[in-house]
Amino acid sequence: MADELTVIIESFGIPPEALLAIIFVAIVVLGAVVVIIITRPLLEIYPYLLTNAKVRARKGKLFDEKQFSEIIEADDVNEIVNYLRGFPDYLEHLEKHSVEKSLDIQLAKTYVLLARIVPDDIGKAFAVLSKKPDINNIKSLITAKEANLTKEETLNLLVPVGKLYNTCEQLVDVTTVEDIVARLDGTEYGPVLEDSLSQYEEKQMVLPLEFALDKYYLESLILASSVPADENTTILHSYIGSQIDITNLKLIIRGKADGLDYEAISPYIVENGYQIKEWKLKDLMEADNIPTLINGLEGTDYYTVLNEAVTIFNESGSVSIFENALDEYLIDYANDLSLKKPLGIGPIIGYLNEKEKEIKNLKIVVRAKRESGFSMSKIQEMLL
Amino acid sequence: MALEITLGTALAGVGAGVAIGFAAFGSAFGQGIAAASSVGAIAQDGDMFARSLIFTVFMETQAIYGFLIAVLLMVFSGLMGGGAGLSTGAGIIAVGAGLAIGFAAFGSALGQGIAAASSVGAIVEDNDMFARGLIFTVLMETQAIYGFLIAILLMVFGGIIS
Repeated sequence: MADELTVIIESFGIPPEALLAIIFVAIVVLGAVVVIIITRPLLEIYPYLLTNAKVRARKGKLFDEKQFSEIIEADDVNEIVNYLRGFPDYLEHLEKHSVEKSLDIQLAKTYVLLARIVPDDIGKAFAVLSKKPDINNIKSLITAKEANLTKEETLNLLVPVGKLYNTCEQLVDVTTVEDIVARLDGTEYGPVLEDSLSQYEEKQMVLPLEFALDKYYLESLILASSVPADENTTILHSYIGSQIDITNLKLIIRGKADGLDYEAISPYIVENGYQIKEWKLKDLMEADNIPTLINGLEGTDYYTVLNEAVTIFNESGSVSIFENALDEYLIDYANDLSLKKPLGIGPIIGYLNEKEKEIKNLKIVVRAKRESGFSMSKIQEMLL
Repeated sequence: MALEITLGTALAGVGAGVAIGFAAFGSAFGQGIAAASSVGAIAQDGDMFARSLIFTVFMETQAIYGFLIAVLLMVFSGLMGGGAGLSTGAGIIAVGAGLAIGFAAFGSALGQGIAAASSVGAIVEDNDMFARGLIFTVLMETQAIYGFLIAILLMVFGGIIS
């Protein structure tokens, strides 16, 4: 066979050196094409491998259905606390703090951890996410000051996580909300609060200050994920955008339930959502009532979600029905997103979603156990 | 003392280079993917070391296949001495053998690396996933074996291993 091949090649009259060179060049070109085509997409997954393994290890430690049933079956809060003590993540905080605060610390630490370990291309958005504990601490501080809580009570509200925790701890001694705002002047939250201070002084309510912080947080979050460069960042953008859509919808629904008009609602709305764009938001805010508002959402996922909840709303009259339906939609949506890029951002979103869900559910169970009269099946119904 | 190398032997040298070059490249890439995931898993759970190592070691086999074919080509083409050298036709077949194992091992190792990384992630999340992860990761070995067998057959029936 080889001899016949030799005869064929010699019949072409190609010099041996030229043949060697042709074969060599052909292999180099072929090899380069194959390597470039195949390895380029693989380089995208490289930064996620380490993070995903860490995240999945943590996801494996989240409570499963059986463990949650055991928690729900607890007779009282103390039994829940004892149960949680069996898990190192919670034990650490339960030694020093109440169960509610321990849960808040755990969630805050999750945000900070994710901001530290996620790859650079999604790092900016997670860095904003890690500011949530700071924002919550400032809100707690302002609320506590407005409610004239003691130093100890105020300290108890603060979650010892975040870059501004020490600053917040020092601000516990400050006497007025205005002083708190003034003392936060050097931080990124200073100008945000100063802009809303006149509204606070006018209405004597901390709500405008809280809304201003929430709006700043959500705007920063969407800004950090607003230019999707690849599939990972596109998924992140849709996840964050959906959170903003849902926050906006909750605000508008509450506003409509309270009979508020466009002018009253619009200052608190974040404009750049995912499925609901600016013009649509305006229409929704101008809707006369909740059914018109829901009809205005036709063409989006939220229409189906809210439309299904209308019957129960008509019976109960409580807008929390819509809020729960939207929360559940976000959990399902995040779950779908987590399956889209298993070697990319998927497991990170999956873990974040599951962790938030676990903490929310634990808080629901603890609250239900503190108040008497909640049967196990009722608690089960309340869970997300 | 300069060795007189025929065109066929030179081509076999190219084949040997392709065999080990692409196989080792894919193997290293795949192993890197699995190792990155393994380090993350071990960082969270020290007990994952042995299981992660198993999944990371898998991709070594593709480099071994490439290495074996490269050595066989060098030995039987006379590059390592003791032979008359190959004809031009046999040299081209040697390049084919190198390409067969080189590319097969390259793709196999990359695929196995991705599956291994996913499996490590799945096991660290749920310990029961070990056996199932192993089965899926092993699947990609077959492509490298096909390349290896074809490379051997080419060498045997192409007159390189006589």
